[in-house]
Amino acid sequence: MLKDYVLATSIEEALVCLKTYAGQARVIAGGTDAMLDLSAKKMTTSCLLDITKVKELKKIESMDGQIVIGAAVTHSEVKNSDLIRTKAPLLAEASGSVGSLQIRNTATVVGNVVNAQPAADAAVALMALGAVVEITEDAGTSYVPIEEMYLGVGQSKVDPTKQIVTSIRFPALLPGQGSAFVRLAQRGALALPMLNVAVVLSLCEDKVEWVRIVMAPVAPKPLRALDAETHLQGAVINDELIAKAAKLAVSEATPRDSALRGSAEYRKGVLEVLVRRALQQAVTAAR
Amino acid sequence: MKKDYTVVGKNIRKLDALEKAMGAATFTTDIKLPGMLYGKVLRSPYPHARIVKIDTSKAEALPGVKAVATYLNTPRVKFNTSATSTFTIPPLQPVEDQYIFDSVVRYVGDEVAAVAATSKKVAEEALELIEVEYELLPTVFDPLEAMKEDAPSLHHCEAGKNVPGEKIHIEMGDIELGFAEADNVFEHTFKLPVQKQAQMETQAAVAQVSVDGKVTVWSTTQTPHPSRRILATIFGLPYSKVRVLNPPYIGGGFGVRIGLSAKAEPIALALAMLAKQPVKVVYDRKEDFIASDTRHSGYVTVKTGVKKDGTFTARKIVGILNSGAYCSWSAEAPGVLGAMGLSIYYCPNQMYDGHSVYTNTTPAGAMRGFGNPQGMFAVDSQVDIIAEALRMDPMEIRRKNIMRPGLPWVLPYPCQSSGLEECMDLGAKAIVWDQRGKQNQDRDTIRRGIGMAIGTHVSNAWPFCGDYSNAYVTVQQDGSIQVASGVPDMGTGTITTLSQMAAEVMGIAFEQVGITFADTESTPFEIGSHASRTCYASGTAVVAAAQDAKKQVFEYAANMLEVTPGELDIENGIIYSTLTQEKSISLGQVAMEAHLRGQQFIGVGRIIPQNAPPYLAHFAEVEVDTETGKVRVTKMVAAHDVGKAIHPLIVEGQLEGGLAMGIGYALSEEIKYDDRGRQLNNGFHKYMLPTAMDIPELEAIIVEAEDPTGPFGAKGVGETGLVATAAAIANAVYDAIGIRFFEIPLTEERVYRALKECK
Amino acid sequence: MQKKILKFKLNGELMELLVSPSDTLVDVVRDQLGLTGTKKGCGKGECGACTVIMNGQSVNSCIVPAMQAMDAEVETIEGIGTSDKMHPLQETFIDYGAIQCGFCTPGMIMSAKALLDGNLSPSRLQIKETIAGNICRCTGYVKIEQAVLAAADKLKATKDK
Repeated sequence: MLKDYVLATSIEEALVCLKTYAGQARVIAGGTDAMLDLSAKKMTTSCLLDITKVKELKKIESMDGQIVIGAAVTHSEVKNSDLIRTKAPLLAEASGSVGSLQIRNTATVVGNVVNAQPAADAAVALMALGAVVEITEDAGTSYVPIEEMYLGVGQSKVDPTKQIVTSIRFPALLPGQGSAFVRLAQRGALALPMLNVAVVLSLCEDKVEWVRIVMAPVAPKPLRALDAETHLQGAVINDELIAKAAKLAVSEATPRDSALRGSAEYRKGVLEVLVRRALQQAVTAAR
Repeated sequence: MKKDYTVVGKNIRKLDALEKAMGAATFTTDIKLPGMLYGKVLRSPYPHARIVKIDTSKAEALPGVKAVATYLNTPRVKFNTSATSTFTIPPLQPVEDQYIFDSVVRYVGDEVAAVAATSKKVAEEALELIEVEYELLPTVFDPLEAMKEDAPSLHHCEAGKNVPGEKIHIEMGDIELGFAEADNVFEHTFKLPVQKQAQMETQAAVAQVSVDGKVTVWSTTQTPHPSRRILATIFGLPYSKVRVLNPPYIGGGFGVRIGLSAKAEPIALALAMLAKQPVKVVYDRKEDFIASDTRHSGYVTVKTGVKKDGTFTARKIVGILNSGAYCSWSAEAPGVLGAMGLSIYYCPNQMYDGHSVYTNTTPAGAMRGFGNPQGMFAVDSQVDIIAEALRMDPMEIRRKNIMRPGLPWVLPYPCQSSGLEECMDLGAKAIVWDQRGKQNQDRDTIRRGIGMAIGTHVSNAWPFCGDYSNAYVTVQQDGSIQVASGVPDMGTGTITTLSQMAAEVMGIAFEQVGITFADTESTPFEIGSHASRTCYASGTAVVAAAQDAKKQVFEYAANMLEVTPGELDIENGIIYSTLTQEKSISLGQVAMEAHLRGQQFIGVGRIIPQNAPPYLAHFAEVEVDTETGKVRVTKMVAAHDVGKAIHPLIVEGQLEGGLAMGIGYALSEEIKYDDRGRQLNNGFHKYMLPTAMDIPELEAIIVEAEDPTGPFGAKGVGETGLVATAAAIANAVYDAIGIRFFEIPLTEERVYRALKECK
Repeated sequence: MQKKILKFKLNGELMELLVSPSDTLVDVVRDQLGLTGTKKGCGKGECGACTVIMNGQSVNSCIVPAMQAMDAEVETIEGIGTSDKMHPLQETFIDYGAIQCGFCTPGMIMSAKALLDGNLSPSRLQIKETIAGNICRCTGYVKIEQAVLAAADKLKATKDK
């Protein structure tokens, strides 16, 4: 039974609150999912601990080649950030495709990761960026690669009754690096993706130095197309190579049949197209 | 009637617009009465079950709970949530197949019980305390399956297994002879999905019972008078002791509440009677999806005989629609499907057979177009198939066969006007029809296409159903007038249009007209807002009432001016003699003079409308991504013969809104069920109606082929916007990729699979 | 349930009231304060009928925790104009036929206002993206987009004067 709502003004204050409630308080940011889960009784807690008033969590910063996004930063703020648009354009694209403007104005990028939904657009882009999550708790601060954040569908490694994700960080793209985020949905807004693919790659001349390809929802969490990445690594980029990589990516995916958002067969078929398009766009951006 | 109108045809500020723009307009969901309780409904989790035991004691004991209603303590009177009881004319009998609550539940979402409590939260908590024991019964979800011998029976039916009401049969000429005369015969079956009205305001009602037993129900109904009849019948009250009204606005309808707002009204009233306090029932969005009427899904087969030159010799249509668990409008919708599907083209030999079939799914009822979009998707997809087989241009084959005034058709009223050919020509020009087939290169993966389709509809329900209207026009002592019509305004601009007509007839300024509407207590009987009828039929009644009032005024004024009534006319509130210049007097002076001598001019309009066919030609331009199957409509043109546009901006709004809904029907909107009979697409996030991002440029073109039967020549316009939209889009997709679809919506996956199969 | 004190500015007026931790902003605005111009179409952030402006941004008030409005400036349809001095959006929505049933209108206007407050020259696409979270089932959106464009022009003309 919900009894309290605490608006923390600092991380310290938030940590004290979590300690006081000893597992009975729960961290929220935008709260868009939390309020629905509460009323649908999918979640129970005694206290909602709101971190959106914590000033230090509302920043998007560039530090030593790293971009740091605070836990209270919304999708809209990311989408409209010049820093993100130039140094991680796929994330701006991904955050810009979430739900609707009203949702993007309240829901946070970090929340997109903590919710651990397999197709969360921003999380898919962040994984392609090689993002690392900063987790703060009483015992101190730790850093976890985003890929290790997922325990299962909708289950994050973070315990919101004890820990606070304070920020998420990733290397800013450099010249010669390119990215892309492509998405297939049933309509132009207010729709979860049937598929989304994020690519970040680094080209030297036309040789692929490294590449990260992330696909969703084709597994319980956003999935790296490792075979496809290996195939591209070190090779000179061309259409044939991209086509082969797209095929490899599909063989790594195990999408499920969704009565709402497409059969496994359809998703596999179209995944190849999306991976190919994402790679092509990323190459264009890198050149 | 003079052609040079001062009010009619003008884009006057809509009467409801200011209140709505300011957020001051009142809807049922906004009402709060002193002592008002909140009602919540317990719904069946099973598609078919018998309630073996129901125990409400724990719920009743919860503090704040004031009443719990079940089949055990509410009236055992059968009814139909739709207004069919009011409209059905003997020897046909309305199908009345449901109770407020029953001991058998027939679909997931069917009403089991309801609670009234001091807050929504308490009411919801109480629902969880109601203990119900169900005995599961066999289920059937597909109409073709439900017609089989061994299918479970949902209701007692005379016409056939699980067939509500009567089977529809329409016939003209000699169908066998027609097919014998044909050079080619084409036969195809099409499958249609469940579409949802998804009006913005969910079903809602507030019921209040006075200490002396008088009932007032504010609700979202499109038809207050027929709804009053249903409520009075269920609760055994004189009609005159039941008042049903809108408060005064409704957040959309599109057919979903022609009659009751699902069961919001009787549930609210039953609870109010038990609790002896006012009760408000507002469906949440999921309830609105799973437990209020949808469009009919089903199967339509079209068989057409055609000469080598493209002349149709015979057409037979068969329609089998899914009624869902209760009848609602399922006895009528198949009839409109057939009647409209046959009437768009002239063909001497025609036949239609159609009916609905009960299944354990959400009831299907009225939705904008009422069977016609289903029929026309089939008919006009097939016309394109025929055109291609005969190597004819789709425009040409249609031009050759379209219905024209004076020709015979299956409808029991004559076709007296048609601007269809002009619609086709203007639409073709706007979409640049000549580009068709010339837009793609061989290697393009994004392929473009253009398609068209045509259609017609009705301007009210007569003579398929009973349909009549009454209205009052009362001249006030200052010469302003008060119109009273029982029709609601659900956003379609009705009150503005009716007031325009009254002002035009009375010869006064629009600002001098006041209107009372959508209230059974202050208006005479009027069917309500459905069947594209309010402008045409309610308008005819208002015009008649205004003419009656004007006649009385002229008689009185003639005496005052010492002239004959026949020589009088009125302009801008001044009555004058058309023969002698100096003889004039204001309407206000006449009204005041009459008042001082004990008289008020009260005009009464009592009319049975005739009927008239609006016509439409739709043109779609699409892009198909052949790698993903995604179809995007890039432009849509709709040219409509509306008779006379009383308010062109309102007319455009109707057309554009219909187009958007039609684009959804064609591409993405569908409610599917899982194998346990549960709706999968039960909210806005899962039901893919279009957002602003999905709507392309829409061009509405108004053509005015005035009909002699309509007020100022007007015809119905409320539903025409989506009659041919899906067919036009499917035809455009064919033009783009050469694949014919016999089922909508054209989702990414459906198109992708077809593309794969073709390779 | 412990009630919490919520202080915020609503349509320019300072409010101080008691709310439950589970209340959403729309509960406070509609039920507690009786401002029923803000509509509730789905209760899940899926239709935009409940859109209000909070600190300059459009939000779905049905999923915003009421407490999150602490110290915020909230605007609703009731606060942006009066019948004799309407907001230009209210005028153009009327003039361009952008209003039919009217249930989506308040949320639609608030979404559009949030856009125009920061951008008087929006593109058609920006307008579409702005109102994509506001479902309208009556109009087909075209007249709404035209009304927003026209309001932008009006505001620009006033500003340029």
